[in-house]
Amino acid sequence: MFTYSLVSGILFGIFFGFMALGLNLIFGVMEMVNLAHGDFVVLGGYVAIMALTSLHINPVVSLVIALVLFFLVGLGLFFPLIPRLSNSRDPEMLSLILFFGLSQVLEALMVIKFGVNPESLPLSVFGNSSWHFLGQSYQIAWIVTALVSLVMITLTYVFLYYTSLGRAVRAVMGNREEALASGLPVKRTSAIIFAIGIGLAAMSGVLSPLMIGSLDPTSGLGLTTIAFAIVVIGSLGNPLGSVVGGLVYGVSLMLMQTYLSSWSVLVPYLLLLIIVLVKPSGLLGKGVRHA
Amino acid sequence: MKSTAILGMAAVLLSASLAGCGSSPSTAPSAKSIKDITIGTLYAKSGAFATSSMPEYSGLTFWASQINKTGGVYVKALHKKVPVKIVAYNDQSSATTATTLYSQLITVNHVNILVADFGSVLTSVAVPIAQEKKMLLFDQTGTGASFFTPSNPYIVLTSLPTSGLWPTSLAQYLIHKGYSRIAIVYATNDFDQSQDQTLVSKLKAAHITPVYNNGVPTSTSSYSVLLNNMSHTNPQAVIELGYPNNDIAFLQALKASGDHFNMVFTIFPGQLPQLFVSSVGPSSINNTYTYPAPPLLTFSHVNYGLNTAQFDLAFKKATGQSTNFLSIAGYNTGLIIQKTLSTANSLNQLSLRHAVSRFSGSLSTLDGTFKIDSKGAQIGETLPVGKITTNSKGRVSVQFVTSPNS
Repeated sequence: MFTYSLVSGILFGIFFGFMALGLNLIFGVMEMVNLAHGDFVVLGGYVAIMALTSLHINPVVSLVIALVLFFLVGLGLFFPLIPRLSNSRDPEMLSLILFFGLSQVLEALMVIKFGVNPESLPLSVFGNSSWHFLGQSYQIAWIVTALVSLVMITLTYVFLYYTSLGRAVRAVMGNREEALASGLPVKRTSAIIFAIGIGLAAMSGVLSPLMIGSLDPTSGLGLTTIAFAIVVIGSLGNPLGSVVGGLVYGVSLMLMQTYLSSWSVLVPYLLLLIIVLVKPSGLLGKGVRHA
Repeated sequence: MKSTAILGMAAVLLSASLAGCGSSPSTAPSAKSIKDITIGTLYAKSGAFATSSMPEYSGLTFWASQINKTGGVYVKALHKKVPVKIVAYNDQSSATTATTLYSQLITVNHVNILVADFGSVLTSVAVPIAQEKKMLLFDQTGTGASFFTPSNPYIVLTSLPTSGLWPTSLAQYLIHKGYSRIAIVYATNDFDQSQDQTLVSKLKAAHITPVYNNGVPTSTSSYSVLLNNMSHTNPQAVIELGYPNNDIAFLQALKASGDHFNMVFTIFPGQLPQLFVSSVGPSSINNTYTYPAPPLLTFSHVNYGLNTAQFDLAFKKATGQSTNFLSIAGYNTGLIIQKTLSTANSLNQLSLRHAVSRFSGSLSTLDGTFKIDSKGAQIGETLPVGKITTNSKGRVSVQFVTSPNS
């Protein structure tokens, strides 16, 4: 049971790390917590479910559709909302209110469009075979999800460290004012990162029914909480922290489900509490961020 | 803006508490002042309980519209028919929101009749409020055994047996089949926990100790690891006790795992078969076991209100929705309220409660025999165990494996 829980925890952790990546990127660049993050994950899930049930489109194709579609949605949301917010007296606090409002609007729209019943993708969508490892078998859907998540995390890493735009992003993450003074296109960089963050959230949403069972319009808040906990555990503003945070969360959750199942719901909050008390900057953090 | 919101909230709370300082709801309103009977209730339009709460609310509003077409409900205390008016708020499946709204129904809206929202989670917060305000709570489907105590006369369970009774037939069947290796996973709420306790105690009385018996949070949506842990105990029967979302997630995980057990039992496919067909597919519930509830379970002897076939037809015509157990439960609650008002000598809340006790056992509706014990818990309706069969078109039928109490 321990081996199965551990390996499952790693697979789930990689997925959760990917799910939190967009939230972390947006916070890193704009110092804003996107409380509607989970709702974009849910919307991505609905894209996959609708594409499969209505158009028989495989979720792998839906990954690309969700990324492109929600990248554009992100750009569409950025320009009317974020520059105004950035120019306000307290952008971080106001961003909480704005994104909470956006979350409520998205949730209400999803209830109108999709109803209140939970929806899911068939776990056999990638075939009925299993992956055998250390005497245990694991669902192929989990393996595909973890692999896609790993690929996307790697691509994000490559983008950040090996492209000129990525370097600009890291410069803004490091110090926004210095980046501005250096003549970097901070607004354009922020817009692209915001759109990528939303796109990645929706992309992870395509895979989410395969990992978390089912989605309904109100699942977003819980997913935002999990993503936020993962980002804090890893380190706010550090994309690699999402991976570490995701792994810690995934493994803890699965071990808790195995050995103390009644308490498993407490995992994100307990981890959050421990990290805030022991290492407030997160596992990969170098210092406390003074926002 | 924040301080304005806080002040506004404080004003609402203050006005609610001051309103509560007025007349006690246990005092009967004067007959002359009553133009309609107000029924206060909550529904969950979103959140985890929306799938169950909305059809239940539809059933209740359907009853109200039907009775209003005949000129209203007969109120013995007024010696006349009075229109019914439903005052309802959306609690969004949140027990915290429900707490405020139940108080608001009593102290601000001054409703004549208080009806709980679906299930034990959203009813649990209504029970102490109703008791404190001396208001009789018509509890539709909140079956948690802890709600019913000798010291609380202000509760009546209308449409399901108390959850402590549910596993009686299930335990009988498991013992009868000779299953000795039984694995149970239950959601940690009053409804499922009390069922687990009853099931385990009945099995232990038959010298069977479950090989796996663990609770999980009600919000659990992934059962894969739990199923793997259960299968390591080599169970013959796997029992999952949860709410609809738990059952859906469990059956999905079971299908994906490829595990096979002699018997798999979940609660809600028997109440919401079409939801399960659309959510997990017909094959996922085929050959699994459940508690079949109306309309899968029909009662031939109905002496009050519509029978199942009549309800099915009228409900579909009026609402455009298909009948399921929860719409029947909501309608049945309306019938119990109707009978209460037509037999109570006064609109005093305790008088209403005494009226319910008087007709308990003599009323047969499309939901079965309405009978309560001295604590207000429903004991007349029993739930048999049935085996589900589905065809490729999603048509669900049930073969009873224990005797239905018809």
